[in-house]
Amino acid sequence: MNAKRLVLSVIVGLLLGGPMAQARIKLVALPERAATIIRLDNPNATLIEEERVLTLQQGLNKVDFSWKGVQIDEDSIRLEVLDHPDTVNLLSVSYPPGESALVWEISSGGNYAETVRISYLLGNIDRLITYKAVADKAETHVDLRSYVILRNFSGEDFDHARILLDYGEAFEQGIDHEETKQVLFLKAPTVPIRKVWTFDAAKLPWDAERLDNQNVGIPVSYRIVNDAASGLGQFAMWGGKARLFQDDGRSSTIFLGEDNAPLVPVGEKMELYIGDSRDIVVTQRKMRDVQINLRKNDSDRVVLYDTDEIITAKIENFKDSPATLTMIQHIEGQWDMEKCNLPYTKKNASTLEFEIELPARTDAGPAVQELTMHYHRRNVRN
Amino acid sequence: MKRLIASLLIFAIAGVANAKVDLTTLPTRDTVQLTIYNSADMTLARESRALTLKEGANALQFSWENTLIDPTSLEMLPKNHAGRIDIAELVFPPRVRNLGLWNIHSEVSGKVPVEITYLTSGLTWRAFYMGTLSADEKTMRLEGYVRVTNNSGEDYENAQVRVIVGKVHLLDEIAELARREYPYGRPGVVRPPTPSMPAPSAVMLRQRAAGREMMAAADMAAPKEIIKEGLSEYFLYTIEGTETIPNGWSKRLQSFDVDGVPVVNLYKYEAERYGDRVMRFLSFANDTEHKLGETPIPDGMLKVYRGVDDAKHLSYEGQSSFKYIPVGEKVELNLGTVADVVVEPKLMEVRSDNHRFDRNRNVAGWDDIHTWRIEVRNTRDVPIKVEIMRNFDAPHWDITHSGSIDGYEKVDLDTVKFTVELPGRSQKTFEYTTTLYRGVRTEDYNRRTR
Repeated sequence: MNAKRLVLSVIVGLLLGGPMAQARIKLVALPERAATIIRLDNPNATLIEEERVLTLQQGLNKVDFSWKGVQIDEDSIRLEVLDHPDTVNLLSVSYPPGESALVWEISSGGNYAETVRISYLLGNIDRLITYKAVADKAETHVDLRSYVILRNFSGEDFDHARILLDYGEAFEQGIDHEETKQVLFLKAPTVPIRKVWTFDAAKLPWDAERLDNQNVGIPVSYRIVNDAASGLGQFAMWGGKARLFQDDGRSSTIFLGEDNAPLVPVGEKMELYIGDSRDIVVTQRKMRDVQINLRKNDSDRVVLYDTDEIITAKIENFKDSPATLTMIQHIEGQWDMEKCNLPYTKKNASTLEFEIELPARTDAGPAVQELTMHYHRRNVRN
Repeated sequence: MKRLIASLLIFAIAGVANAKVDLTTLPTRDTVQLTIYNSADMTLARESRALTLKEGANALQFSWENTLIDPTSLEMLPKNHAGRIDIAELVFPPRVRNLGLWNIHSEVSGKVPVEITYLTSGLTWRAFYMGTLSADEKTMRLEGYVRVTNNSGEDYENAQVRVIVGKVHLLDEIAELARREYPYGRPGVVRPPTPSMPAPSAVMLRQRAAGREMMAAADMAAPKEIIKEGLSEYFLYTIEGTETIPNGWSKRLQSFDVDGVPVVNLYKYEAERYGDRVMRFLSFANDTEHKLGETPIPDGMLKVYRGVDDAKHLSYEGQSSFKYIPVGEKVELNLGTVADVVVEPKLMEVRSDNHRFDRNRNVAGWDDIHTWRIEVRNTRDVPIKVEIMRNFDAPHWDITHSGSIDGYEKVDLDTVKFTVELPGRSQKTFEYTTTLYRGVRTEDYNRRTR
C-alpha cells in the first residue's frame, strides 16, 4: 500500500491573502518524506517525526499539511526548521474549516530548499513487549528473550522508518498499515532465577481435607533481578506478556505458564507466576482461640480482653527435590508472640513471613515441617 | 488434509506481503511432537522441516487456515548453523489471516533443518480410571487410561504425543488468541467478538473415512509404554512411538495397570457436611506400599467395580472424581452415600449447671451438658472402619467418652473425630458427654485451660 494519506504541500507567496480557506483548489509541489522516526517510548501515544525538504521562496510561503483516514492529534503538530532557523520563521498556524489540515505561514529570508522536521502524535500505532524465557532443566537460570511487537493500524504506510523505544538500540523498520511485526530486541542467555513457592494464609484455604478432595495449589513464581549480574540491568524492562518454558533435557521444551511482567526498574526484581504446585501441601488449623485478661466495666461486662491463640500448620513436600516455601501469616492489631517454633520476619504490623526449607521426600514419605504459633492479641475491645 | 502449510518464498518480501500471489516451494513436515495440557485447552506443537535456503534474504511463509493456532506463539529456530542464520522478524501481513512470514537472512546455502513451534487449542487429554475391588474389598486392581482428543482442525500424523499433568497459568485462552482477526489485536480499539471456527461440513464424512485408514495403519500390536518424568511443577507422560490422531478423533491409551493395591474402605459420618447419611470412601496411598508411587496420579474419574464371583462378573460400586495425587500422598475417593452402614447419634441427656448471676441477678453464665449415644451398625459382610466427626458451636468445651471406640482425636478448636472399626455384620455403641461453657463461665474455662 503506497497511497500517502499524509500530504504536505507548499504553496508559494503568490497566493498570499487569497481566498484559500474557502476555495482550497491548489496546484502545489509535494515534498517527499525523508527521514522518519517512530518514537514508541510512551506507552500511551506514538510520536512520529518526519523530515521533508520544502522549497521555500523568499517572502511569505504557505505550507499545507493535510491528512485523511489517519488519526492525528491536531494540537500535537509541530514544525521545526533545520537549515536556516534564523531566517526562516513560522508566523502562524491556521486550520481550514471542516478539513483535517492545517496551514503554516512561513517567512523565508531567501530561496531555500529547507529541511524541516514535522512531528505529531499518531493514533493506532503502538508497540507491545513480550518475553520468552526458557529455563534449564534444573531451574537455575533462563534464556530470556524479549520481542517488540509493532502494530500499525494508523492508516499510514511507513516504507522505512527509524524506530526508537525508550531503551535499546534504535532500528530501521518499515511497517505498512494493518501490519504487525515481531522483532527480537533483547537476548540474555543466562539470567539466574530463583524459584519461589508462596503460601499466604489470607488467600489460600487452610485445610484441603475440608474441600472434598480438591488440591490446593501453592503459587509458584520465578524471581528475576534486573541487574548486571543477571546480564540485564542496562535499562528498565517494560511490562508485557511473558511465556515461560523449560528444557526437558531431550532437546525439547515444555510450556510452564505465562504471566504479565510488570515494568521492572534497574535493580528491582520481577516475579513471574507460572502456576500452582500441587506437590507441596499445607494443612493449617486453629487449635485454640480463647479470651484472657478480661477487663470489665461497672456492669460486669467484658470491655477489653487479650486472646490466647494457637495456630498449627503442617507442611508436606511430596516433591523429589528440596523447596523453600515462603509462608505468610497475618495477625491483626496489637499482638505478641508467646512461642513460635520457626523463625520469621515481621514484614509489617500484621504480616509475618516464614522461609521454610523443605527437604525432598524420601521413600518413607513426604518431608514434613510443622509450624506452631502461640500468640496473644492484646487489648481487644468488645 | 494438511492445513498447516510452510512455504519457502523465493522473491522479495515486500512483493509477497502486498500481492499475495506467491511462487513457493513446500517443505514437508518431517516430524511433529505434541505436548498436550489438561488443565487448559492448550498444546505445544513442535514440528521439524527441512528448508533449502539461499545465501542472503529468504522468506518463509507459514499458514494455518481453519486451525486453532495462536499466532503470537509462533517461533522458528534453525537447528544447524547457529549464528549464521538470522531470523530478522516475523511479519503478519495486512489483509491476510492465518499467515505469518519470517524474514530470514542466511549466510549458508543449502538444506537447513528448522523447528517450528506454536501453541494450539483443540487438542485435549484427560485421565480416567477403573478400579476393581477384590471380593473381600481389601485390594483393588487399578487401571489408568489417558484419552487424547483432536479437535484442532489439523490432522496430526505420526506425532510423538506427550501429555502434561499440572496446573498451568494462562492470561488468555489459546482458542481466543487463535480466533483474533489480528494476532496481537489492534491498538486503541476494543476487540469485537470474532466468529468461532467454521462448523464441520459434509467433508466430515470423508474425513472420518480417511481417519479410519490412518488410524488402522498406525495401530500397533502391543500396548504402548508410557515414560513418566517430573519437570518443574509438572509431570510429563511420553507415549511410546508415534500416534496418528486425525482431526475429530480421539484415542484411548492405557497409562498403567496395577493389581493388588491395598485399599481401606472408610465410612464417614459428619452431620454438618453430609447430613444423616454415611458416606463411603475408598482410600489408598500413592506409594510403594500400595504398589504405586512411581509417579503422581493425574486427577480424573474413577469408576469402582467389585468382582462378585470366579467368572469375573462385576458389580458397580460407584464412582468418584479425585484430585491429583502426588507421590506419597493418600487419597480418599468419595463413592457417595451408602445405606448398609448406619450411624445414629441420639441425644440422651440435656442439662445445664454452674449457673452464674450478675449483680442484677440475671443469668450471666452456665454450662450446657449434653450426652450423646452413637450407634454404629455394619450390615455388610466385610469389616469396615467408620470415622464420626462432631462439631461444637463454641471453642470452650470439655468432653468425656466411653464405650467401643478405636480412636479419638481433637481435629481443631471446635471439632473432634471418633474412629470405630467393625467386623462384618456387627454393631458398636459409644457415648460422649460435652460440657459447653456459656457466658461468663468461659472465663472459668479459660483460667483452667491456660
